[in-house]
Amino acid sequence: MRGLIAVILLDLKRLWVDRVRLATSLIQPLLYLFVLGSGLGASSVMGGRGYLHYIFPGVLGLSLLFSSVFAAMLIVFDRQIGFLKAVLVAPVPRVSIALGKVLSGALQALVPATVLLLLVPVLGLGLSPLRFVELIASMWLAALTFSALGVATAARFRSTTVFPIIGNAVLLPLFFLSGALYPLDRAPAWLRALAHADPVAYAVDLMRGAVIGRYAYPPALSVGVLTGFVVVLTWLATRVFAAGENL
Amino acid sequence: MSGSADPRDPRGDSGGPGEIAIEARSLHKRYGAVHALRGIDLVVRRGEMFALLGPNGAGKTTLFSILATLLRPSEGEARVLGHDTVRERARVRERIGIVFQEPALEGKLSVRDNLYLMGLFYRLSSRAAKARSEELLHTLGLEEVAEREAQKLSGGQKRRVELARALVASPDLLFLDEATLGLDVDARRQFWGEARRYSQRGGTVFLTTHYMDEAEPADRIALIDHGRILALDTPQALKNRIGGGVLLLATADDARAAAWLRERGFEPEVGARGVLLVVPEPAAVLPEVLAQLPVRTHRAEIHEPSLEDVFLKLTGRALEDGQAAPRARGPSGPGAAQ
Repeated sequence: MRGLIAVILLDLKRLWVDRVRLATSLIQPLLYLFVLGSGLGASSVMGGRGYLHYIFPGVLGLSLLFSSVFAAMLIVFDRQIGFLKAVLVAPVPRVSIALGKVLSGALQALVPATVLLLLVPVLGLGLSPLRFVELIASMWLAALTFSALGVATAARFRSTTVFPIIGNAVLLPLFFLSGALYPLDRAPAWLRALAHADPVAYAVDLMRGAVIGRYAYPPALSVGVLTGFVVVLTWLATRVFAAGENL
Repeated sequence: MSGSADPRDPRGDSGGPGEIAIEARSLHKRYGAVHALRGIDLVVRRGEMFALLGPNGAGKTTLFSILATLLRPSEGEARVLGHDTVRERARVRERIGIVFQEPALEGKLSVRDNLYLMGLFYRLSSRAAKARSEELLHTLGLEEVAEREAQKLSGGQKRRVELARALVASPDLLFLDEATLGLDVDARRQFWGEARRYSQRGGTVFLTTHYMDEAEPADRIALIDHGRILALDTPQALKNRIGGGVLLLATADDARAAAWLRERGFEPEVGARGVLLVVPEPAAVLPEVLAQLPVRTHRAEIHEPSLEDVFLKLTGRALEDGQAAPRARGPSGPGAAQ
């Protein structure tokens, strides 16, 4: 337990002293929402405000996905400079390191997403307290899933040159398949089939359901799928940290 | 076995198996076609300061990494403080501190935060981690820079913080891998002074170096080359092994001088500084050699055998391959700053 806390505390302290990263993470989601929302909304059949309501959960997803994966990528950086070695050689259970990294990535991603929540009244979403709690809970689950995805990936890499590759080859497809910015119900069947394998799709749908009251997948299924992703990915990351060869 | 006994327990029966800090048995390590370790056997006793001395690429860091639980051997096994370094890694890690060759600090955090967080990683309570950090800041003379970002420290200060980091959990055994690489003489002296103090309080130190003056003050030294231990003994015994004294001749043509000496029944070695000759009484041989040597001699030197000479004699190669340690007028090795 102490090891878990140490992993999280270390990361949060580092976010706190890195004011540039902190400020960027606060500003970036607002850009997403207004630039994407007004730009795409003007040409959308759903009309301005309706579309903003539709993409708000999508933007939450975008922000959570990129922030948590970016936080996880710092593991690769730590490995490159040698700092990770000092952490890995500490007598901390490997599962605590993996879980700590997943939790700290989720927490770091929830900072900007929470800023976005300030827009709930501005956008006139009119959420009941229950819906609001539902939204928060699904944000947590989404953040944990994306963070676990990031940690399980980052744990395997030794060089930061993989960052753009992961960004282009993993994150963008996951995001575009998720239905975050546009509904997939009129998309070709193969695209919709692929979306079934995309955790981001379940996460966004869960958040969107909390906001607009309509789900594409049964919420219980989404919660089950996302929880499964978190458990499996955290286990995979634990295995990498436990390998012990060439720390 | 009593491997888990507290080594600081004064009742520990000396000579028993509990007195062994490190034990390696026929360790091999292969990286693909490269055979980095070719059967290493060694025993390090508790409280000992043990140096692994060898040139770059000899296998020092590979052996170090296996003993420090960072790498699995391809064959053989090692026990550290009574625990297997592969199967009982976690038990070993609880009780060792490591200073790596590369920096392992979070540069953006303060020195104090670095130590405090590492304390938490070693399962100290928050209060204990704070107290231990303050204690180390004090004993290592780091109080003035405690609030500074680690990345803004000088090279010597950074290394002392690394040492503090390694000591945070009060380990029984300290691993130092080329710990003073790139430091100036003063910083090296200060670093080894601290390591020596740790050793004098009863801690075991296992260090690797390719500077012979850093190995010199160790209790015992293992000379390593090409993945094998060539000799393992106290510094004095290693030097005695060479027998007699060393005559070093810097000549106009070292190869020709060596050939001539060989014809006369000597066993010369050609090193970076000249022709090396080990003889029972160098002073008695010198006049005749100087008078008859067919090549011009620039300089003749007689000295007690050094570890450098031992290494040259054993391998026919120079230890520091021309790349000498930063020299001071006085000694700057582990024993210098007491």
